Amino acid sequence: MYPTVVRAWSEGLSTSERNLFVAIVVLFLGITAGALAATLVRRLLVALGVDDAVEGTSFERTARQFGGSTIQFLSRLVGAFVFFFAALYSMRTVGLVPGEALIEETVAFLPRLFVAVFVVLVGLVVGDKAEIVVDERLRSVKLPEVTVVSTLLKLSILYVAGLIALSQLGVATAALLVLLAAYAFGVFFLGGLAFRDLLASAAAGVYLLMSEPYAIGDEVEIDGCRGIVQEIDVFVTHVEDDGEEYVVPNRKVIREGAMRVRG
Amino acid sequence: MSELGDLLDDIVSDVDGTLLFSPSGSLYERFVEGGTPVVVATENAVDAGQYVELPLEFDEVRERVRFGVEGALENGFVEEGEQLVCVLALFSEDIDTVTRVRAGDFEQSGVYDLFVNSRAEPSVIRNVLEVAIELGKKGQKGKRVGALFVVGDAGKVMNKSRPLSYNPFEKSHVHVGDPIVDVMLKEFSRLDGAFVISDSGKIVSAYRYLEPAAEGVDIPKGLGARHMAAGAITMDTNAVAVVLSESDGLVRAFSGGEIILELDPEAY
Repeated sequence: MYPTVVRAWSEGLSTSERNLFVAIVVLFLGITAGALAATLVRRLLVALGVDDAVEGTSFERTARQFGGSTIQFLSRLVGAFVFFFAALYSMRTVGLVPGEALIEETVAFLPRLFVAVFVVLVGLVVGDKAEIVVDERLRSVKLPEVTVVSTLLKLSILYVAGLIALSQLGVATAALLVLLAAYAFGVFFLGGLAFRDLLASAAAGVYLLMSEPYAIGDEVEIDGCRGIVQEIDVFVTHVEDDGEEYVVPNRKVIREGAMRVRG
Repeated sequence: MSELGDLLDDIVSDVDGTLLFSPSGSLYERFVEGGTPVVVATENAVDAGQYVELPLEFDEVRERVRFGVEGALENGFVEEGEQLVCVLALFSEDIDTVTRVRAGDFEQSGVYDLFVNSRAEPSVIRNVLEVAIELGKKGQKGKRVGALFVVGDAGKVMNKSRPLSYNPFEKSHVHVGDPIVDVMLKEFSRLDGAFVISDSGKIVSAYRYLEPAAEGVDIPKGLGARHMAAGAITMDTNAVAVVLSESDGLVRAFSGGEIILELDPEAY
């Protein structure tokens, strides 16, 4: 009964009127879907504990200054995109947009823009968070210069995020990629070279701590250093003789072996 | 009220230095303009140039002042014989007490040395003291328990002791101050013998029977075998011993064969 009335009513309208009606309906649907998507995303982010994770980052602080929060911002972004699609579609129905090609291109471009914006935002937040976490970790090291590490980490994350975003938008990123490769090479290869001894000692130290071939209080001889073991940590073993304390790197223990004096 | 003002003036007249105990930022600012106060606090919140770190919030004011003065002397912030005014909080959170003391007036108790110049790190000794205090407060099922922790110089201590039973801490990597230690506290009280803790705070062993040379150890009469063992092991090695007494419930710290610090767990 009811559908026939609606159909009869819609058949009474002219084509342009009908288009306008459809456009308005689509617009309203878009608003509802956008709001729904925003709420869903916000709930999802809260459920995932993102609100706690972003606590203290400068992005969150900036968002607070504008009376919002990171989560609100992200969910609104999603909602806005959904609404934007609906608006585009309704505009096409009404025939406001000149060419079909433009629409096609916009529709193809929009998701990429969305991903790019999203990646930049995530990069900002993750970079900030990484900086805070590393800073807290390094706080026990009372050395002001050590903050360079966390800043470097943050900039690296931002750089990679920016790179992904730019390539999403189709900007030529070849030169930047080369830069990234050089940077990664520098960090991993040269870093590995610089930390080679430490890494070798740490690997040996993990074995020593796990299987404890000698323990604190044992008398040992490692590479000519004979004495009582006072301390074993990940990197070094402290061997103490009368008035002399040898700090032996753990890699020496694995490479040269250790002699334990049986008591 | 002028008499009161005069009295205060008398107390603070001709002083050579000021010790601020856990001052607020604004108070410190006010004092900095007039000279260089020494800040004594658990952390250097005001970025003071002359700073003595308090390892414990000593409840006993006498201990707190003593630690601050000994620390200031040790660091060369004040000279022997100087008149010092200590500004501290006794009853409330805010500063409410001013007391005057002459540096070096009381004999050096070594409480500052106990923390700062021991083999083990200050934070390790603090953590062990906290464990002992906690154990003294809780006890086991309301009954008092005793415990003996030997901190630092673990290699030597291990060589001057023998196991009473299998070592539950073998191949474990538990450090005092780890959250798990709080959980293990109750279990601790059941174990006989001494705990051996390394310079970095690793619990090396439990169930150790200490066999140091005990000649010349002089501890007050009335204290038992546990305290005697603690005194002897600290005399024989460079370790510090922390004892929770089963009979009177006090926590005592030994270094070099002598009692350095006596704390009542109930006061913390």
